[in-house]
Amino acid sequence: MATLADSFLADLDDLSDNEAEIPEDNEVDAADMEEDIDGDLADLENLNYDDLDSVSKLQKTQRYIDIMQKVEEALQKGTEVSIQGVDLEDDPEYQLIVECNALSVDIENEIVIIHNFIRDKYRLKFPELESLVHHPIDYARVVKKIGNEMDLTLVNLEGLLPSAIIMVVSVTASTTTGKPLPEDVLSKTVEACDRALALDSAKKKVLDFVESRMGYIAPNLSTIVGSAVAAKLMGTAGGLVALSKMPACNVQLLGAKKKNLAGFSTATSQFRIGYIEQTEIFQSTPPPLRMRACRLLAAKSTLAARVDSIRGDPSGKTGRAFKDEIHKKIEKWQEPPPAKQPKPLPVPDSEPKKKRGGRRLRKMKERYAVTDMRKLANRMQFGVPEESSLGDGLGEGYGMLGQAGSGKLRVSVGPSKLAAKVAKRFKEKNYGSSGATSGLTSSLAFTPVQGIELTNPQAHAHQLGSGTQSTYFSETGTFSKIKRT
Amino acid sequence: MSYLLTSLSKKHEVDSIIRDTIDKVLVLRFGRASDSVCLQLDQILSKAARDVSKFATVALVDVDSEDVQVYVKYFDISLIPSTVFFFNAHHMKMDSGTADHTKWIGTFHRKQDFIDVVEAIFRGAMKGKLIVNCPLPPERIPKYQLLYKDV
Repeated sequence: MATLADSFLADLDDLSDNEAEIPEDNEVDAADMEEDIDGDLADLENLNYDDLDSVSKLQKTQRYIDIMQKVEEALQKGTEVSIQGVDLEDDPEYQLIVECNALSVDIENEIVIIHNFIRDKYRLKFPELESLVHHPIDYARVVKKIGNEMDLTLVNLEGLLPSAIIMVVSVTASTTTGKPLPEDVLSKTVEACDRALALDSAKKKVLDFVESRMGYIAPNLSTIVGSAVAAKLMGTAGGLVALSKMPACNVQLLGAKKKNLAGFSTATSQFRIGYIEQTEIFQSTPPPLRMRACRLLAAKSTLAARVDSIRGDPSGKTGRAFKDEIHKKIEKWQEPPPAKQPKPLPVPDSEPKKKRGGRRLRKMKERYAVTDMRKLANRMQFGVPEESSLGDGLGEGYGMLGQAGSGKLRVSVGPSKLAAKVAKRFKEKNYGSSGATSGLTSSLAFTPVQGIELTNPQAHAHQLGSGTQSTYFSETGTFSKIKRT
Repeated sequence: MSYLLTSLSKKHEVDSIIRDTIDKVLVLRFGRASDSVCLQLDQILSKAARDVSKFATVALVDVDSEDVQVYVKYFDISLIPSTVFFFNAHHMKMDSGTADHTKWIGTFHRKQDFIDVVEAIFRGAMKGKLIVNCPLPPERIPKYQLLYKDV
């Protein structure tokens, strides 16, 4: 355990401010460590992994105990006198609600810390579990159920997790690299799990209480989304004022579950809707319209929350108006489109054809353009009878095709205009002029008397090709001098 | 006779409609209500009338009324139904491979055929031609014989 703590603390070296304290902690006894450690809940470098109490202090604080007591009483009293309209801030119930909201956020944080603690302890036993079960409370329950068991077939996880995940967990457990925990570590882990579950139930109680009072706290908001969802939204946001400050897009995402499990397809995952999903308006809209309905709901509920935060409308009329508006809009979306009237045909040739241009069209047209071969076949030399396919003037005439001297009917494809422009730009970009000419010139010089002269086989065809291309205008050149006026 | 199309029985009505249809093809059908081929043609005309309404007007002339016998004689209408095309008060002729170019005898096989014919006449008229070629293939042009008139 000491080596483990060492390695953790060494990792935290980057984060810690008071580095002097850390080497000290290593040697000092567990009991003494408690005195040194700060009482701050979220202070990372002071986490002592041996003792739960130093990590999770919330349940010991006075504040927590007070509020829980009040909530218990209020829940038992049930609904009684309603809150006085004007002086809301002074009303003790309202104060309690505000504190409850803050407390629920704190409980949330606390649960995360305890979850980290449990996870770190349980890593020895079953490291893969943390990536399979994300939710802290579910993780705590599973850890408690499995305990120190190595064979997962003896453990019944029904009801704790969805069955697909149970399957994945059992399979992973059979190949896990973990070893059973020592007895004291196990007991600490189980204790931490219990504490997490206790905090969770406390949070539920708090939320129930808030929910029952919701109609008095935020009448407009609860008319639109219902009091349960309104309580959850308020709880997650951290109060009515905090909720009203959020933009509607954030309100839509409050309570959204993150992280699809690896291996499960994301194609079916519903897009990012939070607690709004549980409202009855959302549930009653047909699936194709759900995204739009969600956005609409989030927007209107944000407005209602803003009205409620300043107590602008205690009677809840605004909320009802919004709700009607939402219903009307959703119905309008479901109307069939108006029937199409058959239009009379347009007058022929009255609309000019839209001529398109551009590189793509030019490339398309190149496929149907008259090729060099056809151009040559169409022309004839003066005074020279052309050959024809069947001989003697019958059949198709060849024009100037075979007449350049090589006797071949083939014409090499000259560079197309588009390709020439591209090549020119490419050359300008990359090469610049290196001074050398054709790649076929060699340093060996043969005289025509002696030996072979390497000729450029393309030069011949170019002569002919240029017969079809205009020689006056260059294919690739531009203006030589452009004067800016 | 379709109730959607205007039907004419007086000479001055025919006159006015020919004069007043400007820049649109005028389709005048000469026929009678009792003839079955005529009724078939009428149905096609009534279905197509809205579609070509931007460049054509369709009207029906009753060939049995006395007032319009002048026109019947002028256009030499003997086979029922006959359709005569006008554009800006000019009589448009169409060569469909039959003997008579001045009018269209019989019905059309489909609504689209009628629309094609009217469009061909319109295009030719806008170019200034007085006679156009028929765009339909010969199997869709109703065949008839003028022989018995010559006899």
